[in-house]
Amino acid sequence: MAQKPIIYKSWREMPLMTASMGDTTINKTGSWRNVEPHHVEQVPPCSFRCPAGNDVVSFVTLAAEGRLEDAWRVLAQTTPFPGTCGRVCPHPCETECNRAQFGEAINIHSIERYIGDLFRDNPPELKRPPYTGKHIAVIGSGPAGLSCAYQLKMMGNAVTVFEAHSKPGGMLRVGIPDYRLPPDVLDGEIRRIVDMGVEILTDHRVGVDVSFQKLMDKFDAVFVAVGFTNSRPLGAEGDDGDDVIPGIEVLRRINLGMKDGVGDKPLVVGGGNTAMDVARSLLRNGRDVSVIYRRTRHEMPAITEEIEELIEEGIEITFLATPVEVIRENGRMTGVKCIRMKLGEPDDSGRRRPVPIEGSEYIIKADCVVTAIGETTDLTFLPDEILAKTSWNIPADELGRTLFSKMYAGGDVADGAGTVTAAIGYGRRAAIAIDASLRGEAIPENAAVSPSLRDRTGYVVPFEEINLAYFEELPRLEPVPLEIEPRIKTYDEVRQGFSEEDLTREARRCFSCGTCPACDNCFIFCPDVAVIKVKDDPDKFYIVDTEYCKGCGLCAAECPRSCIVMKSVR
Amino acid sequence: MEALSYLKHFKEVAEHEIMHSGHVACPGCGAAIAMRLALKTLGRDTMLIIPACCWAVIDGPFPYSACSVPVYQTAFETASITAGAVRAGLDATGKKGINVVAWAGDGGTFDIGFGQLSACAERNDNIIYVCYDNEAYMNTGIQRSSATPWGAWTSTTPGSDYKKERKKNLLEIMAAHRIPYAASTTVAYPDDLVLKFRKAMSIEGFRLIHIFSPCPPGHKALEKNSILEARYAVESRVFPLYEVEDGTKYTLSMDPPTRPVADYLDLQGRFRHLNKKERSFIQQAVDEEWTRLMHRMRIDEAL
Repeated sequence: MAQKPIIYKSWREMPLMTASMGDTTINKTGSWRNVEPHHVEQVPPCSFRCPAGNDVVSFVTLAAEGRLEDAWRVLAQTTPFPGTCGRVCPHPCETECNRAQFGEAINIHSIERYIGDLFRDNPPELKRPPYTGKHIAVIGSGPAGLSCAYQLKMMGNAVTVFEAHSKPGGMLRVGIPDYRLPPDVLDGEIRRIVDMGVEILTDHRVGVDVSFQKLMDKFDAVFVAVGFTNSRPLGAEGDDGDDVIPGIEVLRRINLGMKDGVGDKPLVVGGGNTAMDVARSLLRNGRDVSVIYRRTRHEMPAITEEIEELIEEGIEITFLATPVEVIRENGRMTGVKCIRMKLGEPDDSGRRRPVPIEGSEYIIKADCVVTAIGETTDLTFLPDEILAKTSWNIPADELGRTLFSKMYAGGDVADGAGTVTAAIGYGRRAAIAIDASLRGEAIPENAAVSPSLRDRTGYVVPFEEINLAYFEELPRLEPVPLEIEPRIKTYDEVRQGFSEEDLTREARRCFSCGTCPACDNCFIFCPDVAVIKVKDDPDKFYIVDTEYCKGCGLCAAECPRSCIVMKSVR
Repeated sequence: MEALSYLKHFKEVAEHEIMHSGHVACPGCGAAIAMRLALKTLGRDTMLIIPACCWAVIDGPFPYSACSVPVYQTAFETASITAGAVRAGLDATGKKGINVVAWAGDGGTFDIGFGQLSACAERNDNIIYVCYDNEAYMNTGIQRSSATPWGAWTSTTPGSDYKKERKKNLLEIMAAHRIPYAASTTVAYPDDLVLKFRKAMSIEGFRLIHIFSPCPPGHKALEKNSILEARYAVESRVFPLYEVEDGTKYTLSMDPPTRPVADYLDLQGRFRHLNKKERSFIQQAVDEEWTRLMHRMRIDEAL
């Protein structure tokens, strides 16, 4: 309540001495300012970089407060696979984390993994809108397909997923070894999707068991997420024998509990995640495995930690060499003739192109070659008129829309991004586009980011705007991995998770860039009592009293995390 | 007091407001923040005695006041003695549990009210004397005071005539009176400020709190940098935060991460004219003072 003016008509009305009769709120000092503070929520770099669009800061800060169920709900908005992503994602969020420049990056993936695991077997109820009457077919039960199915179901649609293999999960199932992603984690997270009412038909290969055209006719929309299924050929002389096996085929056999069909001394060719996974799996199967890669470690596309763990486990990588000929005696492979390479000019990917050094051929002993030099798609299930409009992939925009109405595509089959998280994000964006189009509504802007981040300014908070006076330089907590000796004999998970204590300690290190946790700095440092705390509003903690704010900017300067911006007064 | 706990969350600051908006302090005023935090801690059972100083103006024109506690405005040199007299009056009428606070600037403390301050301290009058120190007569146009540091520009020490004398060491002088409590604090560390006021309230006798309060117009600094300046003053050891009990027991409140004095000087236009040599002289003087303070802290152990 502002003070009313006190007016004395003559000296007789005045008190005997010059005593105050009211307070200074009569004086509207807000007229002094030319800039004014605005409390805003800005984009943290972790969320900005997350291909799945996760609201990282929110779930990390909720975890820091011990509100783990709320943290899980934040994750559930954007991903059905927190436990899986927390294990297999190359976590670009941590690369971008502003904490990396003060202490070390927050261990985001371990926090996500903990939250995912905690609620895997009894997930909290989520509110869903009523059934829309629409039924969508999803081809492929990999991360893109299941993410799309999950989101569509959350929006009230019916979904049927067609899976060619005997178990759902796509590459998560058949491409990632158990020591990175234990099957019970994947089973649990898929079970949740099934329990929500998504129908998954395994052993249904589209193009064989059911035609693509039939799906297009029967369903309201079709989302194609078949991923990468074929290995690229080795391209060396004699690479057409049974002893030259595609890496993803070996992984598929191992993951589905079959014999791997590999000799005693396999040579794995390639430097990507498949090469790492297949080499380490074969090591666990007791093989004398080695890896050959045509460039150097610097150019290897595999996740850094995977390369480090592979080297730790004692697998040798030969750099700057590539096979040119498979040598066989009496029909049995005895070795592989390789040629040494040197790095030349950068190619399209920006990496330096390997060039063979003439006359440098030499022989590596091996009885089997496993190829992991890249994967590609198999689109032969598509009808001819659609196939004619595709290249190695199905061209689709970032919302999964293709050239054909009702047909959407996403994940590796569309962008070849090659990570689980990118596929999850693609599936979710496509689900938003499909649902909006079936409802006849406009697709929301910023579909790529978590719904809880949509209202933010587009500004990504840089490190320079963090006020370091309010943070301590603390090291990152990292769970200790399994000892090397026991782990290379089994498929037990190599990396361990956090304890609850470590989880809270690590989460508390978060700067929470651009996200106001109500630290009260703006309230405490305001010289004009013009920052007012708001009670009972979950979205807003403070308002600026514009009648009195003089625009000094102390609140913005002392905000630890760039949640206040100063704007000119119009 | 663990140093780093100040930096995370300011848990000690109360939510209720006693000071009002609408006061006429300049934007970014350190003294206004000091008063707001002090009143939050002192509570409503407080009487303020304010001599001529910025706060005499900030409090507002008749018939309005920014502080919803009794404020008695007095002559420049009489803050301490008037406070002592108010306490005597309260005692005579049997009123207890009231904080009598003299709230004076550096001019009224270091220079003009100095004799009375010393007299009150010697008599151990039961008051809290607060000096909010902005290091010059800011309210009348930035004239030098004996709290102005060496090297600073003021309107009475302009250009190459910048101040060539050191700042008085108020806390040392007051400690030499053997008063029960003397402490330094600043607005950049609200928890420290609040805890020191609380401690002062728990003690009887003459208590002095020296608050470093940045003044954007007087220091020729950006309004938004007031807190940063106060923080740098502490981190660069220009203004150490400590307390002295009974004139002898020294406690360092915060052992800050060291920061070159240059960072502190660079924030303020009043030091802009100083050359490299003069700046390194300030650094040297600050280092010496710090060493001296550290030795003084350990005197008791030696005795």
